[in-house]
Amino acid sequence: MSDSKGSDKSKKNKKKKEKEPDITFFHPELLEIPEDGSPAYLKGYKCKKCGQLDFPKLTPCPSCWGTDFEMVKLSRKGKLYSVTDIYIGQPGMKTPYMFGYIDLPENLRIFAQMEGEIGSFKCDEEVELTTGTIRTNMDGLPVTSYKFTKPSV
Amino acid sequence: MKMQREVFIAGVGETVFGKHNVDYDVLGRQAAFQALQASNIDRPDVVQTAYVGNGLNGMGAAQRVFRDLGMCGKLAIIRVESACSAGAMAVYSAIKDVTTGVADISIGVGCENHTMHRATGTAFAMGMDDVEGMQGAVMTGKYAMRANRYMHETGATIEDLAMITVKNRKHATNNPHAWFKGDISVEAIVNSRMIAYPLTLQQCCGISDGAGAVIVCSKEMVKKLGIEKPVKVAGAVVQSGPYHNRPRDITGDDITESSAQQLYEESGIGPEEVDIVELHDAFTIAELLYYECLGMCKKGDGLKYLRDGQSTYGGQCVFSPRGGMLSYGHPIGASGAAQIAANVKQLRGECEGYQVDPIPKVALSHVTGGGLGGTEHAACTMHMLTKAW
Repeated sequence: MSDSKGSDKSKKNKKKKEKEPDITFFHPELLEIPEDGSPAYLKGYKCKKCGQLDFPKLTPCPSCWGTDFEMVKLSRKGKLYSVTDIYIGQPGMKTPYMFGYIDLPENLRIFAQMEGEIGSFKCDEEVELTTGTIRTNMDGLPVTSYKFTKPSV
Repeated sequence: MKMQREVFIAGVGETVFGKHNVDYDVLGRQAAFQALQASNIDRPDVVQTAYVGNGLNGMGAAQRVFRDLGMCGKLAIIRVESACSAGAMAVYSAIKDVTTGVADISIGVGCENHTMHRATGTAFAMGMDDVEGMQGAVMTGKYAMRANRYMHETGATIEDLAMITVKNRKHATNNPHAWFKGDISVEAIVNSRMIAYPLTLQQCCGISDGAGAVIVCSKEMVKKLGIEKPVKVAGAVVQSGPYHNRPRDITGDDITESSAQQLYEESGIGPEEVDIVELHDAFTIAELLYYECLGMCKKGDGLKYLRDGQSTYGGQCVFSPRGGMLSYGHPIGASGAAQIAANVKQLRGECEGYQVDPIPKVALSHVTGGGLGGTEHAACTMHMLTKAW
């Protein structure tokens, strides 16, 4: 949705400022938004030594201290384990916003913001990956990242 | 920790908690001075090592606490930090010195001033290098998710959660150290400002300032100082929170459960023998979950335990007799030490107006710390204290 916007702004930003601009995409190691328009996906990392799959990437593998990983595309749909609506948030973040724990079939739990109407999410409902603005960076620009929302019908 | 020799608490101190116009070092010094005097110590060269728990008040904080007491230059003073667990961890460190023989007498202080240093209207959050932090995580929200899941699974309501605040504020009614105290209705709690659904303002600990101090020593030192009511440290535990990125039950709390198990084993005292508990009731839901995690009741029976009055006067075990964090507020570096100070005063029967009756003989304290992404808590510190006179 806002993937192209995000990269445009980061390009503009680079021209405008001499100092290192703050990030507008969080984060290439966590999330891929393919340029061909196919659906975005989260990136899991499978340890080549012991096979443990982690998100986010942990280096070294906390299970066997392996340092070689294979990227695995994670499922786009999962189950919302729990959720909350935040009315007093982090400094500088607009409220209300929502976040929750999403359990993926790969036996991974993702902490992410929810996209949709405040108060509309319930425990155990199915949700789907989307992308959007999660916060504003230090240059005042939107940061694009992964979010979860109600599945498109 | 494995105790190598017996350790006793000689004296404790705690400030009034609330909004203070003096900084953390003044508060820490007030609590430390009270504890020194309560331990019959009348000069600055008696205590041999010192630990100061403090979260956010800058560098060199530990030594500043002791400067005006004339103690700097006479002993090693070490700062301890683990977010909300810092104060208890300072006391743990002092106990460790005494049980190992590094020192015969040591002091643990927890102190913090938030209101002079923090902007209001924002919530405590994880750092920006944390994936959860980038996504907007705040501690209130992490507890709110535990509450939502608990309500989803058990049918508990916001009104049930509010009963924790009602109980703890009632316990604090006559406690001069507590900030928010006395009668408050379930309705007023439920209708207070929403912070993180379902947690309303009156279900969250206040951002406050304060300090607590605890002096621990060997058996010989108890005699030398002439301590009439020594309190024995029957157990002291610090654990770090296991990392998780997989589905798990957040209506439990792995680190609290495993720390409690270690404490019960090492002290030889089971949950059924504990008379009072000060725990990490930073939010209402926490106390409810921890009844179960501490083994005070069966998994899933926390709500029944509360409704049956088992956690207040006349019940199986009085939880938060000082009023807990819901009454004191939660200066993160201070709380853990202040809990221990309050427990010692209860065991000694010194809590006029809020003394648990009959006077308790066994007291437990529990405080977690930090919200590192992937853990419920970065740390957990627990202490078991018993009457020893």
